[in-house]
Amino acid sequence: MTAVLDKPAATPAEAPARRRRFKRPSVGAVIVYVAVVLLAVLWLLPLLWALSTSLKTETEASLGQDVHWIPRDWSLDGYRAVFEQGDHLVWMVNSTVVSTIVTVLTLTLCVLAAYGFSRFDFPGKNVVFGVIIAGLMVPGEALIIPLFDIVGFLNLSNTYWGLALPQVVAPVMVFILKRFFDAVPRDYEEAAKIDGAGHLRVLWSVILPLSGPILAAVGIFTFIGSWNNFLWPLLVATDPSMMTLPVGLGVVTGGTACCTRRTWPPRSWARCRCSSCS
Amino acid sequence: MTAQTETPAEAQAVETRPPSTPNAKRRNWTGLWFVLPFFAAYALFLIWPTILGLYYSFTDKSITGRTPSWVGLDNWSEVFADERAWSALWNTAVFTLYSTPPLVILAIVFALLANRARKAGWFLRLAFFAPFVIPVSVVTTIWTWIYQPDGGLLNHYLELFGIQNPDTPVIWLQDENRAMWSVVITTVWWTIGFNFLLYLAALQTIPQDVYEASAIDGAGWFRQLRSITLPLLSRTTGLVITLQLIASLRIFDQMYLMTSGGPNRATEVAIHYIYISGFEGYRIGYASALSYVLFVLILLVSIVQFRLFSRKGA
Amino acid sequence: MPNHPSPPGALSRRTLLTGTAAAAGLGLTGCGSLAVSLSDKTVVKQWNLLAGADGAIMTDLHTRFEDEYPDVDLQATTLGWGTPFYTRVVMGASGGNGADVATAHVSRIKSLAPDTLLDPFDLKEVEDAGLDPDAFPAEIWEKCFVDGDLYAIPLDTHALVNYYNREICEQIGVLDADRTLLETQGRDAYFEILREAKAITGQYGTSLDTFGGWRQFWAWYRQADGEMSFGDGDYEMDDDKALQAIETMYMMAEEGLCPTFADGAQCAANFENGAAGFVQVGNWEITRFRAFNEAQGLDFSMAEMPDFFGNRRTQGDSHSFILPHHNQWDPEVRKATIEYVAFMLHNSFDWGAGAGHTPAYLPVTESPEYQALEPNAEYSGVVDNVQLDPDVWFSGSGARLFDESGSVFQQVYSLALNPEEALALLKERIQDLVSLPNPVD
Repeated sequence: MTAVLDKPAATPAEAPARRRRFKRPSVGAVIVYVAVVLLAVLWLLPLLWALSTSLKTETEASLGQDVHWIPRDWSLDGYRAVFEQGDHLVWMVNSTVVSTIVTVLTLTLCVLAAYGFSRFDFPGKNVVFGVIIAGLMVPGEALIIPLFDIVGFLNLSNTYWGLALPQVVAPVMVFILKRFFDAVPRDYEEAAKIDGAGHLRVLWSVILPLSGPILAAVGIFTFIGSWNNFLWPLLVATDPSMMTLPVGLGVVTGGTACCTRRTWPPRSWARCRCSSCS
Repeated sequence: MTAQTETPAEAQAVETRPPSTPNAKRRNWTGLWFVLPFFAAYALFLIWPTILGLYYSFTDKSITGRTPSWVGLDNWSEVFADERAWSALWNTAVFTLYSTPPLVILAIVFALLANRARKAGWFLRLAFFAPFVIPVSVVTTIWTWIYQPDGGLLNHYLELFGIQNPDTPVIWLQDENRAMWSVVITTVWWTIGFNFLLYLAALQTIPQDVYEASAIDGAGWFRQLRSITLPLLSRTTGLVITLQLIASLRIFDQMYLMTSGGPNRATEVAIHYIYISGFEGYRIGYASALSYVLFVLILLVSIVQFRLFSRKGA
Repeated sequence: MPNHPSPPGALSRRTLLTGTAAAAGLGLTGCGSLAVSLSDKTVVKQWNLLAGADGAIMTDLHTRFEDEYPDVDLQATTLGWGTPFYTRVVMGASGGNGADVATAHVSRIKSLAPDTLLDPFDLKEVEDAGLDPDAFPAEIWEKCFVDGDLYAIPLDTHALVNYYNREICEQIGVLDADRTLLETQGRDAYFEILREAKAITGQYGTSLDTFGGWRQFWAWYRQADGEMSFGDGDYEMDDDKALQAIETMYMMAEEGLCPTFADGAQCAANFENGAAGFVQVGNWEITRFRAFNEAQGLDFSMAEMPDFFGNRRTQGDSHSFILPHHNQWDPEVRKATIEYVAFMLHNSFDWGAGAGHTPAYLPVTESPEYQALEPNAEYSGVVDNVQLDPDVWFSGSGARLFDESGSVFQQVYSLALNPEEALALLKERIQDLVSLPNPVD
């Protein structure tokens, strides 16, 4: 992540080279630009199409109408439906709550653990660390069956805890953070300790301020991962009022489920009906 | 992800790690308290299910909650004889085979183009990365609807360009042979942004003077690509392929939402079959045995990859 | 990387603790959903699978319920019909805190493992809510009991029926003086009508849901008195009669008398836009066709399934209300839930009039008002001809037998399988199901 965020350093050697290229744009460069912009537009088409449809009326948006990009009859009905068909907002809130809990807990637990592994030696440390590292190779998806059972046993199904806690266990984050902490020089801590700071204080006021970028990376990655998680909320949040956005949109009919399931053509993108069964 | 974050940390470690003083690493229990909260969660939600799943695979545990009874190796022998399970694994492999090459090659192509066309940088990053942040159910809705045989966007343009006869529209998601491809195309569209950014970042770390030196030696564009760029990208490619393989083995969301595993089970993948036998079919015990087969396969892939990697790194 | 640490104490440990405590508190108050905990009314969570035209009628009834019971916040959710719906009911009940009340097909009650996953109704609370337990058709009512406990309260009976386009039928000359469809005897006689209809429409004679073939199969198999019974690891089926039913599908599709590919929505659309003169689908499509009639004009009526093999039996089922298992019932919620069920039954006249289902509650169906209802009266005999699905844990509406046989029949309609191949594949699929260890009993 860090590398991605870093802008390429425009070295003095590179800058004149670039300027030279732009003075006489070769045929190749023009081709590259045209190709790349075309590709990018092509890549955006599905999103633009969704946007275009969302601004049409239900009749205009339904299949069988000719394909046109600019709505003839502009309408915000689709968006009104999103807010009126109450659950969308609830799902949005649930997604936010769950992703926040997951992110805060992941950061807290993983930072503590990584610090513990990085700075202390305790009996059995290598064994515990080894067990956690082995977890890197355990695919969460292969555990859904027993996990569902455990969460039910703990009486946590259809609760925020049930949705969030199993997502918190991320050995990879402990691993990343430990490697980072290992690289942080210890001189500062020694100084702080001489001043009488406890371990938590050292962690909080010495180590963490040095770890901004890595914490941001872990936090953002965790948040996006949890926000987009589909399988686990699909299993735990059976109650529609507990669903997260991706699950609610996917399963509750009148969301989008019937467009993707039994029926085509769907009536419209925002609202569609299934009528095959009863 | 891992490799990226490691790089700067590693570099620093080499430079600045002080010789560990025996004083800093006194052996006592303090460290355990730091590790304990994570380990408790880890034990509860990772170790316990791993053991519990193994136990259930020897029982006829049902989602109905009736008392499970021990059935020995019945579930296991059923798994190995279950054609549906193997075909689900096969479909998973097919998805991996179809989706990995475009996700690697297209990502390189996009990154190379974006690297050349730096003026359009922000736009390209937006275009290729935007789909990645959209929730899966929205992605599948958009695409299901683009794939509609009659009046969908895709067939409309195929007809417009004369590739397709309007009277016999191509069936995408409901056709046994095309359904998998349709899901692959959607997946490529959705997830390529991540690989694209990885490659772009890697490209930008290649020093410009390497190219200039080779240009003086008379190397053309293609030659540079083959003997400088691609070899320097090989580490990233290794990473991308690893992540891709593991993600593909866990594929579920798109199939569940777009095809429900159909038509005629042509897109039924491993996790989906676990879901079907465990939740739709009530058989927690049997689904646990299925999970373990997948578990072991993913483990094997990870280990093989790990081996390949460490050898290359050394 | 900064060269010096930020001033110590900028954020104290206490801040950290308050922060985590706040996060924990957020989670704790949110044990239920925020949406639910913000409501001061009694919340009743209802899940249903009625995504079609009848779902709209149910929503209207819900609005009326909320008007009449202002203290109750009824949160109804429609989930994907069939397996997706039932899977969620089961998963929710296994956690003990899913829906308060859900719709279910009577044919599915046994497959929902009532012993552990459903809570029984107490006959007394049902009576207290104003329902008369003796006022249900006996054969349906019996099916709602398992081991002496009442697990479901039936709402209706519904079945495959035959809709006909009067204009087209008039041209063929198969209407009575009162513009109802003439009765025919035998498959050939009916196919003859379909051929004439096809000549008029230029496309199909009749339209069918080629994805839901089980319903048609079971209707024709039962018309021929076919039996299907299940034992321990084996089953019995009359191969000749099954083949005859499958051949019916194949012949119809091969001759172009019905579409080779049409799901429920498409098959109804075929009837609306005149691509087919008939459509054999559920009575619940009546709402849709009525709406179409009002919007664009569609002169139609409906009759029982045509007699192919000696009678007019048809496949059908009953919607009912069930109580998914609760770890504990809030007495308020329980009371409101039962009141909801009672309300829906008392007002099921609208359910019958609007959605075309035949109400199960006899005081409603026996009322003169209902007796005079058209076209419901024209297919009222359907209740006696309804054939429920075979009695085994993987059978029933939207259950595995329904799904797996449906995918076989779909290939018959699309002519990808000939009848013999389809029968062989069907038997293979059923054998697979029978060999599964029973996870319910």
